[in-house]
Amino acid sequence: MILFQNVTKIYHSELSPNHIPALNDISFKIEPKEFLSIVGRSGAGKTTLIKLLIGEEDITKGNIFFRNENIKETKFNELQKIRRKIGVVYQDYRLLFSKTVYENISYIMEVMGFSDKEISKSVSQVLEIVGLQDKTRSFPKELSGGEQQRLAIARALVHKPDLVIADEPTGNLDPYNTFEIINLFKKINESGATVILATHDRRVIDNLNKRVITLEEGKLVRDEKSGKFIL
Amino acid sequence: MLTSLKRILKFSWIGFLRNKALVLEVIFVITISMSLITSLFLSQGVSEFLINYLQDKADISVYFKQNTSEQDIVGVEEALYQFSNEIESVEYVSQEKALQIFTETHKNDPESLQALEEVGDNPFLPSLVIKARDPIYYVQISNYLSQDSFKDVIDKIPYYDNKRVVDRLSAITDGIKKFTIGMGLILGLLAVFITFNTIRLTISASKDEISTMRLVGASNWFIKGPFIIQGILYGVISILIVDILFFILLMFFSPRLQVFFSGFNLLNYFRTEYGSLFLIQIIFVGIVSIVSTLLALNKHLKI
Repeated sequence: MILFQNVTKIYHSELSPNHIPALNDISFKIEPKEFLSIVGRSGAGKTTLIKLLIGEEDITKGNIFFRNENIKETKFNELQKIRRKIGVVYQDYRLLFSKTVYENISYIMEVMGFSDKEISKSVSQVLEIVGLQDKTRSFPKELSGGEQQRLAIARALVHKPDLVIADEPTGNLDPYNTFEIINLFKKINESGATVILATHDRRVIDNLNKRVITLEEGKLVRDEKSGKFIL
Repeated sequence: MLTSLKRILKFSWIGFLRNKALVLEVIFVITISMSLITSLFLSQGVSEFLINYLQDKADISVYFKQNTSEQDIVGVEEALYQFSNEIESVEYVSQEKALQIFTETHKNDPESLQALEEVGDNPFLPSLVIKARDPIYYVQISNYLSQDSFKDVIDKIPYYDNKRVVDRLSAITDGIKKFTIGMGLILGLLAVFITFNTIRLTISASKDEISTMRLVGASNWFIKGPFIIQGILYGVISILIVDILFFILLMFFSPRLQVFFSGFNLLNYFRTEYGSLFLIQIIFVGIVSIVSTLLALNKHLKI
């Protein structure tokens, strides 16, 4: 489903003459319906890897294929179609602060052209799953950090995407909510979606018992089918 | 398509209602820039009127010798047909009519009337009163009539006596034209600059949201649409405010300004030319809002 082929990403800084690669010659494959965790210290390249996959950043060298489509060569309209098939939980949430909780979640479905009835039904369901059913009319700034994170998760899941990417999705959640959210990702994976989870959380990885890729200073140092959190 | 359009309109309206403080600020600034455009339109009307008024005051009279036959005078008048692009009107004033005009003009001036009586005969010469389309043409017309072929019939062309007045008039009308064009350019550019920057700042405030919209897969028009419609809404509301405000102000001040502007009624001008003014305002707001919105958005639509 997803193929990383010798991917390198170098950020060019005007202040520093040395261009340190954020990702260095990364190659791996993700099969459909797989649950993959990416672990690594801060700055290891987890977020960069996700940004390259969704076309938010340009690849310096190599190729990334999503269902045989080369992200680097995809035209804007096609890239937007690919993005609609992916649900992303961003590390910094990236919520729409001028929209209510309900509107934040419904926006992606409105973009995709779902009917108002379908949108209402799906949004209500996902709000109940993440426990924000009483906050539909609130604005993101009126929510706590944990609630904002759950809203970001709800937005990523509402349109039942083929691929769910979560970048530190439990960073602001208490252990109980962390367990609930990870279970939710597992259920989504069991229902047929591919899940990529980037996290620091040792407990989450050790309990998952799924494939783990370990990044260190932009290099892929370990790829285990049933891995543990080892740094 | 229809669903998308409906949603774009909904987003525009919600955005408009929710950001009241920002909306008021933007409308206030665009209102100022629309006031500049409207003032410019009115000042253009005033200057056009003043130019016509001043030009209307200028003419030259060609005096014919005593006993010149009416046929000869008509001949000269016909010779002037070749200046149809330069001459606005030619009026024949016979000796009798000149006398009548003098008597009429000086009916409250017994000294002048007595002097005329003392002269006995009708001392006035027949003349042609020529009004040019622009004061600059008087030299050309006077030179033509000063040719030898007209020497036998034409007594004098007092243009050269009035030359200084005519030249000054030309300079004044020319100055008014240049001032109007210069002010138009400055005020017009100022209005464009103010509107563009205001819209750009409004959109910059939403740049993070625009990036997020892109990342969840929204099409360009789904993102741009609400901003464009909001820009047009700001413009239309500003136009309404400016037009109502100007109408009220002109109702109060037009009679006083009429004295100052040699009889030009600004309120009447505003009423009769309102269609053109509204069209200019709509085109200005439409083009500036849409172009500003698109330029500002493109900067944030690079992800």
